Amino acid sequence: MADYIFRRLISAIVVMAMVGIFIFLLVRLAPGDPAVVMAGRNATEQIVNGIREHLGLNQPLPVQFIHWLSAMLHGDFGTSIFSGRPVLELLVQRLAPTVSLSILTLALSVSVGVSFGILAAWRAGGFVDRLLTVFSAFGYSVPVFVIGYFLVYVLAISVAWLPVQGYAPIDEGVGDWFAHLILPTVALSLPFVAFVARVTRASMLDVLSEDYMRTAAAKGASSYAMLFHHALRNAGVPILTVIGISFAYLIGGVVLTETVFNIPGVGRLVVDAINNRDYPIIQSVLILTSGLYVLINLAVDLAYTLIDPRIRY
Amino acid sequence: MTITRRTLVQSALAAGAALAVPSILRAQDTQAIRMIMGDIQIFDPVFTTSQYTFNHAMAVYDTLFALDADLVPQPQMVGKWSASDDKKAYTFELRDGLRWHDGTPVRAADCVASIRRWGQVEPSGQLLLKEAANITPTDDKTFVITLNEALGSVTEILAKPLFMMREQDAKLPATEQVTTNIGSGPYKFNAGLTRPGSRVVYDRNEQYVPRDEPSSGLAGAKIAIAEQVIWENITDPQTALAALQAGEVDFWADPVADLFPAIESSNNLVLDTLGGNGSDWVVRMNFLQPPFNNIKMRQALLHLIEQKAFLSLMAPDAKFGRTVTSTFGTGSPYSNDVNVGWFKEGGDLEKAKQLIAESGYAGEKVVILDPTDWREGDVASQLLASVLQKAGINAELAPMTWSELAVRRSNKGPVENGGWNLFITTFSDYEMRDPMATSLFVMKSDEAWYGWPQNDEFEVLRDKWPRTETKTERQALAHEMQRIWWDYVPIVFLCQTKAPSARNKHLVDMISSPAPERAIWNMRKVEG
Repeated sequence: MADYIFRRLISAIVVMAMVGIFIFLLVRLAPGDPAVVMAGRNATEQIVNGIREHLGLNQPLPVQFIHWLSAMLHGDFGTSIFSGRPVLELLVQRLAPTVSLSILTLALSVSVGVSFGILAAWRAGGFVDRLLTVFSAFGYSVPVFVIGYFLVYVLAISVAWLPVQGYAPIDEGVGDWFAHLILPTVALSLPFVAFVARVTRASMLDVLSEDYMRTAAAKGASSYAMLFHHALRNAGVPILTVIGISFAYLIGGVVLTETVFNIPGVGRLVVDAINNRDYPIIQSVLILTSGLYVLINLAVDLAYTLIDPRIRY
Repeated sequence: MTITRRTLVQSALAAGAALAVPSILRAQDTQAIRMIMGDIQIFDPVFTTSQYTFNHAMAVYDTLFALDADLVPQPQMVGKWSASDDKKAYTFELRDGLRWHDGTPVRAADCVASIRRWGQVEPSGQLLLKEAANITPTDDKTFVITLNEALGSVTEILAKPLFMMREQDAKLPATEQVTTNIGSGPYKFNAGLTRPGSRVVYDRNEQYVPRDEPSSGLAGAKIAIAEQVIWENITDPQTALAALQAGEVDFWADPVADLFPAIESSNNLVLDTLGGNGSDWVVRMNFLQPPFNNIKMRQALLHLIEQKAFLSLMAPDAKFGRTVTSTFGTGSPYSNDVNVGWFKEGGDLEKAKQLIAESGYAGEKVVILDPTDWREGDVASQLLASVLQKAGINAELAPMTWSELAVRRSNKGPVENGGWNLFITTFSDYEMRDPMATSLFVMKSDEAWYGWPQNDEFEVLRDKWPRTETKTERQALAHEMQRIWWDYVPIVFLCQTKAPSARNKHLVDMISSPAPERAIWNMRKVEG
């Protein structure tokens, strides 16, 4: 097992190095110039050239790459071209909202999605199953921003129960923190609930048709025992895989949700950085995100061994 | 423990009340004013021309002079000032009580350093530095500007706005950002609560000593009434409107035109231009490349453009748009009608076609740089292309982001080598009053703004501008400059839009000024 983890970590470093080179070339070769954005719409050429020179953007690309690589290897993520503040500091400031939203969304998606999937499989072909099928189709089809605006209109403007937008740090009060996250969490969770529910249903139906489930029923096992002790555990591997994939996709969905609900998270940080061509932020966030993907995959692979003792590395 | 229906209902009510607390707290928070003011990425007003940065600077920094509601310069940080009889020496004495936010006193040396840094990049500042034999502090509160030749507009130049910074900050080159945010203005920058890209927080400067004169435009008493002002960056317009409707924010600087009807139909909200002159939409041509190196083609363009057509797109609500034909904009003391009669109505296709034929235009490709990430600019570019095509011009849109456009417009070569012919931008109508401050007025080829026009006759007159003293003399000069301007056609106006801001009715006494900058002093919240 330790050997396996070590090999996976080594391969993660290789993947991240390749991602790093790709990202560097991608952002530098893309059209646009941060000096132009910084100087403003009606700035003169002289001012733009001065800023470009000061930022070292007129240096050859290989020189810029070596500077960046050297800094990264020393754990220096650089400084934002625009705000002049360390990228790491900006990332830390933006991490809490994104992590809060992601964890709540994942918790809601998994708990509701798995429950719905089990319920649909248990009542396969019946009214509940069809209702949940319609719900899943709805969850897939409706974009996050439509749900977001609808929830804001009903719950934040019409009845004024919840805030429209923004984020309140948890250390300023759990109630306020939670209140600000309810609407974005619900909006972002909807497609993931649908996804997890569909996969859980399909996986559970496969297991429920196995011979050993018939045997358990013949031996008088209760519905609860059959569903949760026997079926769910055996259906767990594909469900876990889907949850891992969902978490990766979640990071993409967070960007839009953060925009609609004005949450100052990592998603908005990176979108603003892309618009402004703030290279150090784009590069750092993408490198860290790719690392996170690799770690999530590793965690999912290791979790298989807990669900299914037959899996060994 | 048994869960009864009663305990369940009680728990649900308690949870509902707990969740409602944030909105209750917000409603009671009358000491803080929350505003949606856009994304301030850069905090140094010398480093960038971004309007958002200037708004920030208005809060944090103070100015030597400021323009009142009639656009007359009035002393702000300056207490007393005088000019020598020959107008070659100006002496300025700072008023009492000026302190930086770090507690140290404002010195004349700080102001001299600030003028020198600003003069590296701002056109009228460059003129001042060029004409100045010396700018020196004579003591802690006094400095003198000695000129080689008399200038009649020194106080106007100093009222640009020119933000005063500490000497150690102002010593940085203009191409390097000042990030300390320590000014002497009515509000202090709160770095601890600020989150770049998301939220900027200002605290009232308790040490600030306002002037005694009543507030007028950007001049007079600056009284910081709100204890704290929080600028939120809400990028999604629908969310911004919802936040305004729910009372989570009090002010929205740049609502989108689509939402004006929704704002106007709300009992609690107001749309208000706050006295602003608005933006002039401008087509800039490339004077180095055919076909617009030919004056007849430029005149044809002037005949072609029907401003009302652009207004119907850019400002569907007639309250927030108008036509503009004066070189000096619509709201300045120098706006005039000289030499505009021949094209004023616009939309004269036959006359345009005649001029195009006379120019010898042979169907060369005309590339319009189209900024697709700037919605209004994109729409205006599309209409421009359509208008040109109707006149038989082989116009082609080159879609790109504004950032790409800003790089490509510096290419002086032909379109085959990545050059360009036309692009659209906006200039503040307020800036158009001053031919020394706006890069659009420069017609010195390589020294000119993108497009690089050259007109020596106009430049001779422009050079006279800062040397004239009276408004009457300036108005006469403005007439003569405008005559040459429209004969030469350095730009074509598309229209003028006046972008209103939206606010809750309980936010009152906001500063009204023709300047595009938003000031946050004097405003306050009232009950009800």
